[in-house]
Amino acid sequence: MNLAVEMTQISKRYGDVQALDQVSLAVEKGTIHALVGENGAGKTTLMKALYGALIPDSGLIRLNGDRVTLKSSREAIAQGIGMVSQHYGIIGELTNLENLILGAENGPVLTPAQNEQRAQELAQQMGFEFDWSAESSTLSPAGGQKLEILKLLWRNSQIMILDEPTAMLSPQDSDALYASLKQLAASGTTIIVVTHRLPEVFEHCKRVTVVRGGCLIADHEVAEVGATQLAEEIVGGSVIERPTPVSSASGVTSLAVSDLEVKGDKGQVAVKGISFDLKAGQLVGIAGVDGNGQRELFHSIIGYAKPIAGSITLNGDSWIGASIGERIIAGLRVIPEDRHHEGVIEDWTLFENSSLGLQRLAEFSNIGAGQAELAPRMAEKFSTKHGGLNQKMGSLSGGNQQRFVAGRALEIYPKLILAFQPARGLDLNSTTKVYREIRRRCDEGATAVIVSFDLDELLDFCDRILVMNHGELYEPKPEEARDRTAIGRLMVGAA
Amino acid sequence: MIDLIKQCITMSIPLVLIALAGFFSERGGVINIGLEGKTLLACFFAVAFSSRFGPGMGLCLTIVATSLVSLLHWLLTQVYRMDHIISGMAINLLAAGATSFFKFKFAPDGLDDAHSPPKMLLYALGIIAPALLWWLSHKTRFGLQHRSAGSDPDKARLLGINPQGIRFMGLIGTGVLCALAGSLLIAETPQFTDGMTSGRGYIALAALILGGWRPVNAGLACLLFGAASALQIQYNGQYIPSEAWKSLPYLVTLLAIAGFLGRNRTPAGLGKP
Repeated sequence: MNLAVEMTQISKRYGDVQALDQVSLAVEKGTIHALVGENGAGKTTLMKALYGALIPDSGLIRLNGDRVTLKSSREAIAQGIGMVSQHYGIIGELTNLENLILGAENGPVLTPAQNEQRAQELAQQMGFEFDWSAESSTLSPAGGQKLEILKLLWRNSQIMILDEPTAMLSPQDSDALYASLKQLAASGTTIIVVTHRLPEVFEHCKRVTVVRGGCLIADHEVAEVGATQLAEEIVGGSVIERPTPVSSASGVTSLAVSDLEVKGDKGQVAVKGISFDLKAGQLVGIAGVDGNGQRELFHSIIGYAKPIAGSITLNGDSWIGASIGERIIAGLRVIPEDRHHEGVIEDWTLFENSSLGLQRLAEFSNIGAGQAELAPRMAEKFSTKHGGLNQKMGSLSGGNQQRFVAGRALEIYPKLILAFQPARGLDLNSTTKVYREIRRRCDEGATAVIVSFDLDELLDFCDRILVMNHGELYEPKPEEARDRTAIGRLMVGAA
Repeated sequence: MIDLIKQCITMSIPLVLIALAGFFSERGGVINIGLEGKTLLACFFAVAFSSRFGPGMGLCLTIVATSLVSLLHWLLTQVYRMDHIISGMAINLLAAGATSFFKFKFAPDGLDDAHSPPKMLLYALGIIAPALLWWLSHKTRFGLQHRSAGSDPDKARLLGINPQGIRFMGLIGTGVLCALAGSLLIAETPQFTDGMTSGRGYIALAALILGGWRPVNAGLACLLFGAASALQIQYNGQYIPSEAWKSLPYLVTLLAIAGFLGRNRTPAGLGKP
């Protein structure tokens, strides 16, 4: 076997945390290799070591058989390694061409005409199309991902690391991406894909390496391993089953939105006159690629953004003009997108955070007593790991903050649950538990609206799926309501 | 009319040089409220060095000394990670105090024996500078990396760029242009007086913001502010109180920042490590 990458017994420690413990990874040249594991398992840390973005405490790295030490990303790039991080490395204020060449210019004075010609050649080779002089802030997530791949080609990368490349893409765009990657692999490029989506591993990758808790767990030929075994290796135990979602929807309309228009932060109309009726008991997923108006729709229902037209009612009461406080009293509970900035106050203790936003409810009329009673229940609901409820929220890891925020949203008689990417930062089984609790609240008569960019997650848990694309709302035909491909087409507006 | 145009140029060109000095640091991500102090020190250096070493050598030494002050700002913000605005203000206060003190100590009768380089040369530099900086910023490797450091230093770092190194170069540029501005101000009134920059550093910064951190637009904004001051001098308080004229640049800039004059173009990485 001709190995492009050999990482041997790599270890890295951050303070008390052993992020990597003697992890080895061997990748065959010209193949697509998957690196899988839960959040915090050490996947990204291992890849950063290969990209020179961090220096391991011990271990060896060989590229094509030669031992190398990579002290910076610059050195890794010089060795032909390229990495696309989860949050793309594209700078919105620069043009597409400038982003392509940034850091790999071919001389002190730029030669735009020549650069554009080579850029165009690379794009054609991959079947991509770009307006090179446009600002990159106008790129869609799929466009950004394509530009990232061209950036690696521009740098003649022979080894490409892609961290969760499909996290923001529609199923169709994901398939197109893997088609491009296979083409590159066939021409001798070695590709390492960090992912948590197992179907991708089985469909597109040759080998798979599993890490958990900073340790190497397994290494298989994909053809020789089953989905259940792989999932159990990732979780480190049995995987909680995800039964087909069953709706307990009554005939009663709870949340009704009609002709809603909301402006986005750049002044554009982000939500373009959408209408929908949700029943009590429904767990509704809103699918779509990031940036298609989901955020603005969310903010307008929360009361954080003021719609320019249309109506929002909950159980018949109009919410236009209602304050956020009034909506919370009416039963609005939110798991926000950005828990650091929108969900918690990191300098406050868990006790104090337990009443954040809910302080106006009767449960907190005696705030100290309310916190003492409810904070432990919120923390236990999803087994938040903490060093005492009087510790600051900032001392918790991101995943544990997310557990606490989800516990808080679901504790006190929710009527309308809004969750934006609730699985963010959570492991597989915790995600299932959060959704199970949301389902339980729906069975009691609440309505839940979930925005996620991960269609598979929504299909696993929601009993109704709506799609947002360019600020418009679509509902798949009844016979295609659970058809992944059909919903994917709606996500990219190709229906 | 001719007087008015002359006056307008006299008022504008120093602003152009200072605003572009600000461009060199701000577009790379370093907030520069210290332009006032750097220019004031440059004025002082210009008199002190040119009176002793003549125009050519005097200008060179002024450039070197002002660049060193500018690099002090780099050291504070990039190495010691001090707050950009506080360190900038510190430089302003240091400049005001130090120039006053040294003038009093070494030349209590006044510092006025300057041998400035020809004014025309400095004017010419001020006129071509916006175009030159546009070229530097958009057509060279340094310019591209400089903008990337000002827009998103973390992403730039992942691409193998060293934002701190790029900003080092940028702040040398700031020093050079402040030195030219200081020399020009001295060439106009061949003596140093306390606080002789009289707020030009702040007005130039306002012009840079109004120009959306783009060299040519910033130059035009300086011309606008220069014309406003020329009119004020010409019709000294005849129609509109001079205080109102003086507040004009700040007022226009406030409107610009509030988004009344088109999209806000603040570099996203301004002030980030």
